[in-house]
Amino acid sequence: MPGPKIGRRGALAAGLALPFIRPAIAQTAEPYVMGSLFPMSGPSAEFGEAFTRGAQVALQHIAADNLLRRPVRLQSEDSQALPQPSVVGMNKLISVDRAHWVLVSWTATSKAVAPIGDRAKTIMVNGGAVGPDLAGLSPYFWNVIALAHLEVQVMVPFLVRQRNARRVALIYVDDPLGDGILGQLRGTLPRHGGELVGSFSVPRAAQQFGPVVARVRQTRPDAVYVASFGAQNAQIVKALRDNGVTQTICSYSAFGIDSLRTMPEAEGALFTSQKLDLTGAHALTSRFATDFRARFGQPPLVYHANYYNAAYLFGLLAKQVETAGGTVNGDSLRAAMLATRKFDLVGGEGEFDEQGNMLTQMQVNEIRGQQFVAIG
Amino acid sequence: MLFLQLLLNGLQVGAIYALTAAGFALIFGATKIFHVAHGTAFTIAGYVFLFAWRAGWPGWAGAAAAVLAAMAFGVAMERYVYRPIQRHEGSFFTVFVAAFGVGIVVQNVIGMIAGRGFATVDTPLSFSAEILPDVFVAPMLWISLATAAVLFIALTVFLTRHPAGVGLRALSQNPDLVRTYGLSSNGLSVLAFAIGSALAAPAAIVTVMTTGLNEAIGHQVMLISIAATIVGGIGSLRGAALAGMMLGIAESLALQFVDTQWAEAVSFLVLFGFIIFRPSGIFGVVQTR
Amino acid sequence: MTAFLLNLATLAAISGILASTLNFIVGYAGIFSVAHAVFFGLGAYGGAQVALLLVPDPFLACFVAALIAGGLSLCLALPALRVRGEYFVAASLGLQMVAATLFAELKPLTGGIGGLVGIPRPEIFGTVVPVLPLALAALALILFLTARLQRGAFGRTLQSIRDADSAAEALGKNVNAAKTLAVAFACAGAGVAGALYALHLSFINVESFTLDQSIQIMAMVIIGGTGTLWGPLVGAIMLLSLPAVLSFIPFIPPTEVGAVQQIIYGLAMTLLMIFRPAGLVGDQTKGRSTS
Repeated sequence: MPGPKIGRRGALAAGLALPFIRPAIAQTAEPYVMGSLFPMSGPSAEFGEAFTRGAQVALQHIAADNLLRRPVRLQSEDSQALPQPSVVGMNKLISVDRAHWVLVSWTATSKAVAPIGDRAKTIMVNGGAVGPDLAGLSPYFWNVIALAHLEVQVMVPFLVRQRNARRVALIYVDDPLGDGILGQLRGTLPRHGGELVGSFSVPRAAQQFGPVVARVRQTRPDAVYVASFGAQNAQIVKALRDNGVTQTICSYSAFGIDSLRTMPEAEGALFTSQKLDLTGAHALTSRFATDFRARFGQPPLVYHANYYNAAYLFGLLAKQVETAGGTVNGDSLRAAMLATRKFDLVGGEGEFDEQGNMLTQMQVNEIRGQQFVAIG
Repeated sequence: MLFLQLLLNGLQVGAIYALTAAGFALIFGATKIFHVAHGTAFTIAGYVFLFAWRAGWPGWAGAAAAVLAAMAFGVAMERYVYRPIQRHEGSFFTVFVAAFGVGIVVQNVIGMIAGRGFATVDTPLSFSAEILPDVFVAPMLWISLATAAVLFIALTVFLTRHPAGVGLRALSQNPDLVRTYGLSSNGLSVLAFAIGSALAAPAAIVTVMTTGLNEAIGHQVMLISIAATIVGGIGSLRGAALAGMMLGIAESLALQFVDTQWAEAVSFLVLFGFIIFRPSGIFGVVQTR
Repeated sequence: MTAFLLNLATLAAISGILASTLNFIVGYAGIFSVAHAVFFGLGAYGGAQVALLLVPDPFLACFVAALIAGGLSLCLALPALRVRGEYFVAASLGLQMVAATLFAELKPLTGGIGGLVGIPRPEIFGTVVPVLPLALAALALILFLTARLQRGAFGRTLQSIRDADSAAEALGKNVNAAKTLAVAFACAGAGVAGALYALHLSFINVESFTLDQSIQIMAMVIIGGTGTLWGPLVGAIMLLSLPAVLSFIPFIPPTEVGAVQQIIYGLAMTLLMIFRPAGLVGDQTKGRSTS
């Protein structure tokens, strides 16, 4: 771990802090609280469960390494992926649990809590939602996931060159994410010699996709890009395959969940995600993979890794703040992030820009034999 | 060709709607209970079938288990939730809120047991083949249409020939008279809930195989059932089933004319229009009150 | 802790407005609407647009919201004049579903599913004020108006319509006008609640104005007690604070938090209805009066 050693300045700070050390010791037993605001019930609960697992392994590692002077406690709140419960939960995390670090997900949650976290100077870290509207919500709102426009820029050249798929149809939910992907496909496809042959927006709560697929088939696509989320993604894939669409199905990082991995109809589907090579030599990544498998009996997926990073980053930054003798809060954590910028995280080095967006490398995955296989 | 394809798609969706709507209408007609937990019975039946399938049971056994589970749920609702409430005060919305609460509970219990997210039964029956150029049809379409037709005929025969069925119809027309003649209206209510809930099971099984399940799927089904019952005319089974079929087809055929995101709203526009212009529904007696 | 409680109090006051106004048409006029969230939403979008485009003046926002919601309440009044009972419930259901689709699609006005962000906080004479006192004042005003209207001639007309509208008509009451006015009043109130909600949250999207929200408002009214002045308020506080209180339960594995809370929430709804079918404040001795 390349954490800074206690240098002269640190010793000086410690000396200065000496008169105040008694109250500091009294606080030692009190843990740092890390909040999480995920959909834990309702149709998107599968995601909340996955996100939480990633964070749990990170906290396990922070505790095992004695990274921090105080223990860290995960306080989980159910956002239901809706604005109002998210706001209630966020206020509780900030004013009751005194959390300075809150893991968030979902576009509606993120947008609803960003003003609250901004006022309270609480760091909010998103590792799940990829709507392009999530950049720059607040200086305290960070993303450890690449937002959707990057995903399309990787997928399109792959489709055109590797799969010779030039005619692409899009099925999407008309939210900022879907809209962003639509705009990106429109712009990126022609540049690579492809064409967006049709775009079909579906209501968020829709269940029946047979008729939509009939319209999609009419456009004679070489590939169908699916940009919904939750259970709807899986339903659309099944409807496509059941109703005679045999062409390539492709999507963004939301395909990286178990219900799609194990679904026979999703065999051969492509999706982009952050680079995650579990078999490589990178120490932190393989430790994460091993411990995750041991705890949950399954290989970790990209979402697990994202929220591991989101939670582990707190350990790294809080350690820096502690070492420098500061108080762990939103401002000190943010200053530590801006001072360091580059962190050793699962998947390799993660670098943050001023707004707190992590820049990562992307990869294209294929669902092959109920496994996610990185293919480009 | 697109028209034919959409029509066929609509028929399959419509068969599911027709069956659930008929169940809802039967319960509502006989007991005057607005059974919003009907969607929950649908969800339970779907998951029971899913578990039976995963456990390697033959299809018919899974289907039987699903029907029984739906019936048990319906009867339990009548016995332990609706009846105690109606003993005090039969307020329409008291029942509504209680049933809604049950829906929340069941949805989350299923999430805890079955795992959250999408689940489906993998079967070749839902896989379409090209029967005409550009027209794809899955065996499931014929199966669901046949099931709906057979069940509907059986139900009609039961309601017109069997004494209990006649009693049910009498209950929907004049509950006081039924009581005066000494027929047990409680027993008939239980029967209505059993049969009505059972009708949701085949629709649920078709749904498991075609669109797949998630814990929250009952919601949509319940809404369509309500809409179909009203459009068909309250108290008319025939109307509800026909309206369910119609709403399914309308939702699908609408794609010929409008953009895809409006498909869902079409059903409810039809509903709204019916209430404004023909409140008695397709087959209902005029009853604006 | 204070910020948490203040936020809950604000949301409770806003929900209290919603529940009280819905109660006004449900309890006194017998109009069972499951489309109240539509007017809540209309007010929220109206108020938000005023704050975003003109000035973040809460009074102007509330006024515009009330105007829009009250004006468009004709969409609800129209079926209310033609049908009753289950038919009307279904009509309002249809309206709710269509309106939710419109909210999601009319992007220039509503921001679609992405919603409207960065709604400024309310200012009075250049100073930023919290929403709580505004919401409490609005709630008090609405409760006062409800009490006045209920006791007055208008209230008696409404109740006679609820119990027997043909008789009311025979007695020379203008049933249509009374119903339309009642609906307009209730919807305008919901619009005010919407404007306050938008100013409080700084972010709104269609997900706050769905059928689920409508049903929750209805549940507040029923659980509190229909046709009572304080019942809806009690119901609103209860249904809002219950999930918040539940989130303090320790020792639930983080992955099951949501499910356990929701199960308790749902059970509470059902059990309350079984054991107190007339609501918490309602008169339990009352027999089978409303159908």
